[in-house]
Amino acid sequence: MKIESLKFEGVSFTHDGQDPIVQNVDFDFPMNEILWVKAEEGAGKSSLLQILAGLQIPQSGKYLINGENVVEMSFEEFLPYRLEIGYSFDYGGLINNRSLHDNLMLPLLYHKVVSPEEAKLRVDAMFKEFGVEKFAHERPAHVPGRVRKLACLMRSLVMRPQMLLLDDPSVGLGQDSIYSFVDHIHRFRKDGYFKHIFVSSYDEKFMNHFDYQIIHLDEGQLYYQAVDPEKRVVHL
Amino acid sequence: MTSLLAQIDSLGRFVTKNVEYTIRVLLMVYLSLRATVLDKAQGFRQIVGVISAQIYFTGWQALPLISVLALGVGAVMILQSLSNLSLLGGTQMIGNFLIVMILREAGPLMVALVVIARSGTAVASEVGNMRANREIEALESMGINPMSFIVFPRVVGGIISVLALAFYFNLIALIGGFLVTRFMQDMPMAFYTDSLMKAVAKEDALIFLLKNGFSGMIIFVVSCYQGLSVKRSPHEVPQVTTQAVVNSIIFVVVFNLIVSALFYLNQLRSLGVV
Repeated sequence: MKIESLKFEGVSFTHDGQDPIVQNVDFDFPMNEILWVKAEEGAGKSSLLQILAGLQIPQSGKYLINGENVVEMSFEEFLPYRLEIGYSFDYGGLINNRSLHDNLMLPLLYHKVVSPEEAKLRVDAMFKEFGVEKFAHERPAHVPGRVRKLACLMRSLVMRPQMLLLDDPSVGLGQDSIYSFVDHIHRFRKDGYFKHIFVSSYDEKFMNHFDYQIIHLDEGQLYYQAVDPEKRVVHL
Repeated sequence: MTSLLAQIDSLGRFVTKNVEYTIRVLLMVYLSLRATVLDKAQGFRQIVGVISAQIYFTGWQALPLISVLALGVGAVMILQSLSNLSLLGGTQMIGNFLIVMILREAGPLMVALVVIARSGTAVASEVGNMRANREIEALESMGINPMSFIVFPRVVGGIISVLALAFYFNLIALIGGFLVTRFMQDMPMAFYTDSLMKAVAKEDALIFLLKNGFSGMIIFVVSCYQGLSVKRSPHEVPQVTTQAVVNSIIFVVVFNLIVSALFYLNQLRSLGVV
């Protein structure tokens, strides 16, 4: 299922007893871009990404993918879109009773995206590319935090989805891992994967590896800021 | 007057809260069944894998504890019933007495309590920790429905385990209990088994399946529900685990009581007493 448009129509979302994350928002998300989601601490960047991933359902309004309202969809109806969305958590999210290798294999084998042999080749290659192959058969609790974070990122990439939602992807990663990750993204974008990327981050250094546009989340509203890569001041 | 109104008010709240809880738990049963039927991706092998793991942890690993309990309960019941029935001159009623006490009443309750203590707590804390560690969200983000991947196989594995454990409990309590007490009583084995066989009726099979099957379902559905009710923080896990134990015991005891009451009402009706 090709993702061609993402749109909010009057979307409101609030966690129980807290200020609204988004309030009556109408927003047409730019497509085929790397979008840097910026906001104050605790303003709800993660929640916004979770809404986009279909993990949180807005209390009111419509979240439209290709004109279809996700809010009214069942788990099964949303599944074709979900398989085209990779989501990486800011912390946690790995299945603890499986090895890192099995964590990456799980979506591939469960949805029979590729044959088991091909899935193994793909996952082994990713571990090698990111330089963490010696931890592949360990469980999440037995590996350093950096490797856990990296495995969570790798799992969001392994299905080669059209849309990537990355929640604080650079936190806890070493410089080498960041270079491998950025290189992987650029390489696969050239091949037509990871077309629409949403990154929630405070790390300007990390974001400067990409040609990004900005979405500001401020007081429950979304604002788009176009960034001309030619005129952008890069702080390294 | 105010105090009476306050009491009525608190009773109303209690009833509403429990009815709502029961509806939510039943809704989860429906959702897990629906998700399993509609989940095209989840293969039969995957479900069987989780079910067999659940049977191993809940059924197989509980066998030593169940054996000790069954032998103890069986031996005590046989000795007590023999000493009292001998006084009344009704030794031939031993079979009827033991079938009623062990197969219909004590067996289902004892097995349910053991499974709640061992596996209900394990499932509630496992699912609760998965929730706190965002594994449930991760499954959803990978397009894997937690209702069919987590809940359904655990409930099915739990039902099979409880049925098997209850059968084993009855067998060990009735036969093992008799063998253990042999040196204290001189009843011939043939007389004992004959009395048991005469006492067993086809309704006993129905009661066995109803009580143990539903106990298994109640324990694992309630435990999964409580585990999934964790919002975010690991500190909620022990709280939901305790709640899973309390709610499972209440539901199982009430259900057993209702089945027994209906069965005996039906017996009285067939005798023309009511």
